[in-house]
Formats: sequence, structure tokens, C-alpha cells
Amino acid sequence: MRFSLCNLLWRIVDLIIAAIFIYAGVLKALDPVQLARDIDHYKILPWTVGVALAFYLPWLEIFCGLALIFRLFYRGALSILTVLVVVFLVATIAAKARGLDITCGCFGHASQNWSFPTHLALDLGILAALAALCYCSVARARASASPAPM
Amino acid sequence: MKFSLARQALILAAFSLLPGVGQAIYFRDKISWRSPIPPSEMVSIDQAREWGDSAIWIDARPDDEFARDHVPGAISLNEDRWNELLPEFLAAWSPGKKVVVYCSAQSCDLAREVAERLRKEAQLPDVFVLEGGWEAWQKKNK
Repeated sequence: MRFSLCNLLWRIVDLIIAAIFIYAGVLKALDPVQLARDIDHYKILPWTVGVALAFYLPWLEIFCGLALIFRLFYRGALSILTVLVVVFLVATIAAKARGLDITCGCFGHASQNWSFPTHLALDLGILAALAALCYCSVARARASASPAPM
Repeated sequence: MKFSLARQALILAAFSLLPGVGQAIYFRDKISWRSPIPPSEMVSIDQAREWGDSAIWIDARPDDEFARDHVPGAISLNEDRWNELLPEFLAAWSPGKKVVVYCSAQSCDLAREVAERLRKEAQLPDVFVLEGGWEAWQKKNK
């Protein structure tokens, strides 16, 4: 009973994270031109790479979000999303350290007026949830792989 | 069917490529894959209008589009007939005049290419690309 309640809670976390990424992905997919500009504001990548990412990243987020919901390629989706959030966190902190006034573009126009601490808090929260889900997934895989007690 | 973590990630990454490519094709006229023109080399419609007679307008679009309609007083100078049209433009240009080049929209590269050639080959200073191009001009003059 306790085990299934725990499972249910993790499933809810799964769905929340999936919803966040699908929402963010759809918003960005609707306006890739703006996303390309937002990526360019970080002054890390050449413009052409930024444009390519602007067309690609939203769909990657959407597909990974759907994978979390349908539990298809679940661990692959978790690892991609974790890498994405880490890269984004590093880029945001690096941009801030260089004194760049950036709009993250993570949630399209909705996030344009967010402060740096708000971005950071949200990203760290998502990263913590992803790390917990990764841990859970590995623990579950180990439990199912280990032989049943005699 | 079980896939390793790396394979799962690879499949998801590959699937995401398909709609991304589709969208890139759909938006091909909305965004340029070349780096944006530096703000110092661009001019807004209002600013260019303020220059009045001290500016020459260049239409970098193909001949048929120029023939259909263009900014009043603009001279056609496109890369298709560069050698033929450049002398005509230079005859109209005089030192101290600013040059405003435009093509069909913000995303087109023709204006940038013509502006670059005017700077490098004709050694002209003060060559600017019109923000938003012909599309923005039309919207502003509706």
C-alpha cells in the first residue's frame, strides 16, 4: 500500500515535469524566430547553430515530455531533459557573469519579465525533480533485476 | 522490447529532428540562417526618410519585383545584373550621400549582399540595409 502511494506520488511528479516541458516546447515551437534571437543573446553559439537549435530544441522537449507521460523511452527522455536543464543553467549563469541582459526564452513571452533568481529557482527545482526521477528509475530497474528472496 | 539508455535518447533525438526540419522549411522565409546584420549597418524606415534627398534608395530585389512596384525614387541594383546596373547607380550617387538598400523582407539576404559589395567593391561609405525591407515599407505606407 505504502509502495503504491509512493509510486503514485512519483507519477504525479513525472506528469508535472512532462507538462512543464511540453508547455515550454509548444510555446517555443510557435515562435522559433524569437527563440533564435533569445539563443543569440547568450553570445555563446554562432547564429546558424542558434537557428538550428531554435527549430530543434522545442520538439526535443515536447517528445521527451510525451515520453515521460507514456513511459516510452522513459530513461532516455529523463537523461536528455536533465542534460538540457544543466546546459541551460550553465549558460544562464555564464551569461549573467558576463553581464549580459538576457531573456531566457524558456517559456516564450511568458518568461520575458522573469528575474534571474526566478529563472534559477525554477531551473534548480526542475533539475532536482529530474534527478529524483532518475534515481527512482534506476532504483526500480535494480529492484526488478535482482532475484526475488527465497 | 528493451533499449539501452543511450539508444532511447538517440531515438528521441532522431524523432525530434523530423518536425524540426519540417518547421525549418516552413519558416524559411521568416528567418535568415546567416548572422543578423549589425545594428550599426541598419536603418529604420523613419530614419531613412528623415535623410530625405541626402540618401539614395537601392532596390536589391530581382528585376520583375522591382518592375511591379518599388520605393519611389529607388534605383534597381541587383546581383543578377550587377555589372550593368552598377554604373547607372554610380552616376546617380555623389560623395556624402547615404545609401539605403532593401530587399523583400527582414529575412532576405539580397540587401545585405548588395550592401557588402557596395562597401567592398565600390568603396562606398555609409551604406545601410533597411530594417524590414520592402515588406515593412508597404506596411508603413498602407
